[in-house]
Amino acid sequence: MPTETGDEIDRSTRLALYRSQLEIRLLEKRAYDLFLQNLVKGTSHLSLGQEAVAAGFAVAMRKDDYTYCTYRGHAHTMARGAPMVGVLGELMGRSCGLMRGKGGSMHLTSVEHGAMGSYAIVGANLPVAAGAAWSAQLRGTGQVAVCFFGDGATNIGAFHEALNLAAVWKLPVIFVCENNLYMEYTPIRSVTAVEHPAADRARAYGLEPVIVDGNDADAVYQVARASIAKARQAGGPSLIEAKTYRHSGHSRADPGKYRPPGELEEWMKRDPITLYRERLLELDFGEGALREIEKAAQRGVDQATEAAKASPPAPLEEIERDLWDDGGSSWRN
Amino acid sequence: MQVVMPQLGETVAEGTVTAWRKQVGERVEAGEALFDVSTDKVETEVPAPASGVLTAILVSEGTTVKVGAALATIGEAAEAGAATEERLSPVVRKLLAEHGLQASEIKGTGAEGRVTRRDVLEHVERRKGATPAAAERRPLGPIRKRTAEQMALSWRTIPHVLQAIEVDFRAVESARAAHGLTYLPFVARAVCEAIASFPLVNASIDGDALLVHRRVHLGIAVDLGADGLMVPVVKDAAAKSLPDLAHAIEELAEKARARKLRPDDVTEGTYTISNSGRFGTLLTAPIILPPQVAILSLDAVTRKPVVVGESVAVRPVGILAQSFDHRAFDGAYSAAFLRRLKEILEGRDWSAALTTASR
Amino acid sequence: MAELTYREAVAAGIAQEMERDDRVVFLGEDVGGAGGVFKSTVGLLERFGPVRVRDTPISEQAIIGAAMGAAMTGLRPIAEIMFSDFFAVCWDMIANEIAKARYMSAGQISLPLVIRTANGAGSRFGAQHSQSVENWAMAVPGLKVVAPSTPADVKGLLAAAVRDPDPVIFFEHKGLYATKGEVPDGELVDRLGTARVLRQGSDVTLVALAAMVPRALQAASRLQDEHGISATVVDLRSLVPLDTRTLLAETGKTGRLYTVEENPRLCGWGAEIASIVAEEGFYELDGPVVRITTPHVPLPAADALEDNAVPTVDRIVQTVVRTAG
Repeated sequence: MPTETGDEIDRSTRLALYRSQLEIRLLEKRAYDLFLQNLVKGTSHLSLGQEAVAAGFAVAMRKDDYTYCTYRGHAHTMARGAPMVGVLGELMGRSCGLMRGKGGSMHLTSVEHGAMGSYAIVGANLPVAAGAAWSAQLRGTGQVAVCFFGDGATNIGAFHEALNLAAVWKLPVIFVCENNLYMEYTPIRSVTAVEHPAADRARAYGLEPVIVDGNDADAVYQVARASIAKARQAGGPSLIEAKTYRHSGHSRADPGKYRPPGELEEWMKRDPITLYRERLLELDFGEGALREIEKAAQRGVDQATEAAKASPPAPLEEIERDLWDDGGSSWRN
Repeated sequence: MQVVMPQLGETVAEGTVTAWRKQVGERVEAGEALFDVSTDKVETEVPAPASGVLTAILVSEGTTVKVGAALATIGEAAEAGAATEERLSPVVRKLLAEHGLQASEIKGTGAEGRVTRRDVLEHVERRKGATPAAAERRPLGPIRKRTAEQMALSWRTIPHVLQAIEVDFRAVESARAAHGLTYLPFVARAVCEAIASFPLVNASIDGDALLVHRRVHLGIAVDLGADGLMVPVVKDAAAKSLPDLAHAIEELAEKARARKLRPDDVTEGTYTISNSGRFGTLLTAPIILPPQVAILSLDAVTRKPVVVGESVAVRPVGILAQSFDHRAFDGAYSAAFLRRLKEILEGRDWSAALTTASR
Repeated sequence: MAELTYREAVAAGIAQEMERDDRVVFLGEDVGGAGGVFKSTVGLLERFGPVRVRDTPISEQAIIGAAMGAAMTGLRPIAEIMFSDFFAVCWDMIANEIAKARYMSAGQISLPLVIRTANGAGSRFGAQHSQSVENWAMAVPGLKVVAPSTPADVKGLLAAAVRDPDPVIFFEHKGLYATKGEVPDGELVDRLGTARVLRQGSDVTLVALAAMVPRALQAASRLQDEHGISATVVDLRSLVPLDTRTLLAETGKTGRLYTVEENPRLCGWGAEIASIVAEEGFYELDGPVVRITTPHVPLPAADALEDNAVPTVDRIVQTVVRTAG
């Protein structure tokens, strides 16, 4: 699906978009393999099929902008540049983990990369992102906050409270709904009063409804660039609904059997990475260049995997560390 | 059933529980001493009104309550439960162990006689003999308080005059020694007889009148150590023979020392004798017990050289000292009374008085 | 020294910190133009302007979420939740997000923020506007919990809370807003986690918080005058961090501990204190630890009911007299 605005995106940006999507894909596949090897415990929520949204925004953001994501946050954290070894290490509970095993898959955080946390309570990250945007507004830094959430979050109170506050205070925040059609197991359409769970709510907060093809990295990038520019110029918040699809279930426990036959297959034909590779070839990036990117990405994931496996488990001292600013967790004298 | 503060004498409105003889949970039989009461008139023990188990003590020692107030309950054994079990707090157990003590060595002042931390610490302090303070503050007990009030009132309101006379107790001595008696009953008997001749000594000040009593109710001051003085009264003493009088005095003194005086035992005195003799004192200036008008002190009777005729003899000699209320009569009257007393004590055949009823 | 009301001390504390540090901002419902529904923030909008003093919609999750986002990106926000009962509608933000962010991020995220709220009974507002929920906050790892009883403590502890690098829940007591007290002139900064011994006795130790502090003091006077029982009174001031050193020392001196708590019985803060003393001060105890609390019920509205649900001076006195032997 060629995009009409493709010409506006320069070639290095396109390569960055491809590299980012690819790294996310390869890393999440690796995470799944490690889960099968019992090296990754607990649950995790993959973004397979949704990489274009993460890449499209991350590439459009300034290094000091803020990302607020959800428990399905590997992609966004990675996209902001968090090291693969830190992500895999965290999933594996190793010392090299981004949070030394304290957060796990659902709470990936890398403040130095602007990844301000993954929030595992649906909707919770919207008010927090609004707060970061408020802070940027007060401090006059021109930073913006981008907040990602699923379609399910549009029916929770925090969504509406945050939208209203951001609109009233004209905060530099972009709320990005990744509408992958399903909350967890239930289709969003079956429990929502409007057809477009995010976009149809925009007008209630004085915002323009924006819907974007979430499987088209270029389209996402362009919407991101526009909304971020608007926010930086004190134009207030945006609410964007990115239509996309997750190839896997909600989480590792979910084989996704509730989906009607053929639906996954239809969406697989619109896999964002396959589509983007085809577009780059159309745009004469050349097979060889893409192969190089792919090899480098795979090498990066392999090296990160080995490094994470070699890293010792998070030490037990971590249990009582870092509750307070003093590094400890004492509640008494 | 409830145990209440009894009416101890007609004019008594309240009483102080000075001691419980039984602890909660203990079995008590009807008539068995249950607690001690002190009133401004008397200190006495009170028997249990019924048999059973003391199930609750409602009034702690030292508490003053109105007549009729509930003090305790006596019930069936089951009600008492485990109250008698030794209940020691962690800190008490620790302190006992530290100081090598047993809880039973220490009097508990806590709820239901529990030994408290303070009890142990105070016990340890006492045992050390260490009294860090220069003076220890000791609250006055009820009898001491009553004594203090009465004496202060007397000293403040009565113009005291002291007169003393030396008496040769030779006549008393042989009879006394033979019967194992003190000098006191002889003096008491002599007082009764002397009063017959000097009735104003046996009187009370009543406003602007002197109430001269027909009968002699003779108060005998009994020392109770630090607790104070009790003055039980031998009723109609003049009507008693010397042996009866001696017996009555002894009986009352015993009751006083055992804190078993009844309210009636301490009221209506008309004249008082105070006896300090056993300590060897020469002379005591006693304070009158209002509304009485005189009091006699008997001090030590000692063997002394006495001029008899033209020679010197060794005789048992003692001084009788009387304080009298100068409002009631004058020195000459008192002196004459004392002279009469001396005559009786020195002149009577006391051995005969002891073996035959007099009057 | 100036005499301030408890509510004036709130505004004074906020003003002192906003004056000192540009990063301190203040947000909440009716806090600016209206000066607070309890008039505890009067004058702040006029003094510091609408950028730093912000009225919010009735959106407790947005208020607390905004404070969190601001705190992790360089501001030092003070957020007001009008009634502590409303914590229930933003408890996700407080308990799941704010309390855990530093730990889950292994120290990457700092949240130097204060959540002020009006706590406690005595206003006949009924069960949804009268609760004492300090024990909720105490139960969540990652929150510091402060509850002052005097105007001076309000100002000093509020300043300490604002300067603290960790999230602090600051419980003001509705029933104390009108009370007055001396507040030292000039900058006042107290220390979190320090209890204060207000009265030294020898027989029993009463530990109280917020509005229960003046009641414990009155009870102590009556215990002395009417029953000859000499009571120590400790104002805890802070539940987290907890000044266990003072608590254990003062319990040890008398051997008897009473907690006077406005929160309902089960898992009230005194339960934790009783547990600590049982574990670490056991051999200093001369009798059971006794908790005097609101019964385990929602608070009734009628004045007579409300007044007698919360521990009264009478109840404190009677409980101590009955059990102190």
